Amino acid sequence: MAPSSPSDTETVEAVLSGRPDAFAVLVRRYQDVLYAHAARMVGSADDAADLVQRAFVKGFERLARCREPARVGGWLFRILANECRDHLKSRRRTDLSVEVLPPLRTPDPGPDDAAREAELRRQVDAALDRLDPEQREAFVLKHVDGRPYGEMSALLGVSVPALKMRVHRAREGLQTLLEAYR
Amino acid sequence: MNDDLHAWLDGEVDGRGLDDETRREAELWDRITASLRRDVPGPAPAWIETRVMAEIRAKAPEGRRGGRLTWLLRPRTVRLSPLALAGGLTLVLVAASWPWLGLPGPWATPTPGPAAAQVYVQFMLQAPDARSVAVSGDFNQWAGDAVMEDADGDGIWSLRIPMEPGLHEYMFVIDGERWITDPLAERYADDGFGNRNAVLAVPAPERSS
Repeated sequence: MAPSSPSDTETVEAVLSGRPDAFAVLVRRYQDVLYAHAARMVGSADDAADLVQRAFVKGFERLARCREPARVGGWLFRILANECRDHLKSRRRTDLSVEVLPPLRTPDPGPDDAAREAELRRQVDAALDRLDPEQREAFVLKHVDGRPYGEMSALLGVSVPALKMRVHRAREGLQTLLEAYR
Repeated sequence: MNDDLHAWLDGEVDGRGLDDETRREAELWDRITASLRRDVPGPAPAWIETRVMAEIRAKAPEGRRGGRLTWLLRPRTVRLSPLALAGGLTLVLVAASWPWLGLPGPWATPTPGPAAAQVYVQFMLQAPDARSVAVSGDFNQWAGDAVMEDADGDGIWSLRIPMEPGLHEYMFVIDGERWITDPLAERYADDGFGNRNAVLAVPAPERSS
């Protein structure tokens, strides 16, 4: 019979008791979901991988501060979420402060649905890049990951009303896009 | 963007009550979110684990591996450490900085030490219902092994810890699982995860002539 995988609590205890190699269990267990979130947040596979790496290393360094080892995955997610927000804020400072974004274009009418969808997507991505990082995070969790507000609240440690406000503001921020496509 | 559309996007109402214009906007939102969801990033690159573990192994010798033991055995200069309890719920005394607060305890004998002098800090917490209390902070790598004692069973837990001068963050751990912030700390710091750590300022010990 194959040995069962150690629980999160067992793994955290092993690392804290002096077996740092046990941390690889947590990396293998959570890297895909963390990477998926980072990629959707920052829109770059390379940046996402770097952020996940940084989040895991910070998680290791602060592991003794994880108050609920059974939920270390959510704790690591919050570290990554902070990394992603900081990355976006930094990127906005360096890029968007000087970049003039192209005007949104109303798509040409026609039967080419694929082209229309591609143009829509391009503009959605451009609009997402203009959102406040916290609003983008809330929008991605709600509408891309499809998480309910309660789950988002538990994951981020932010109240449901505050998250609703962020999502609403994100939608309002994308309203210009909707106007162009109506 | 009207409230009906927000409510529909939040899953609070169904689409039957939407007017035509709002329904068109709702359909566009469906297209947008569907487009975003089609982008599945795929599995994380394999090199993430390799790099993370390489970085961890490089950090471990001075961090986790033997860190606590090194901390416990490190030679220290001991200063006078009076024991006093002011009638609050919690109390942290920086012993060497306030020698006038009380009588020296049994551990108060000054010990000549190396140049890098440290001071004893007396942590105290009133927790009559606790089965165990530990103090955890940056000075012990946030481990829960600095266990406090309540020898006379009066619910006042205490522990003396030698510490380096400077600012230190700490919390109390009750029964090995409940982390609480010292409500009487002089200052606090955000721990980066929505909670506050207590902050203790340990002054440099006075030099004896």
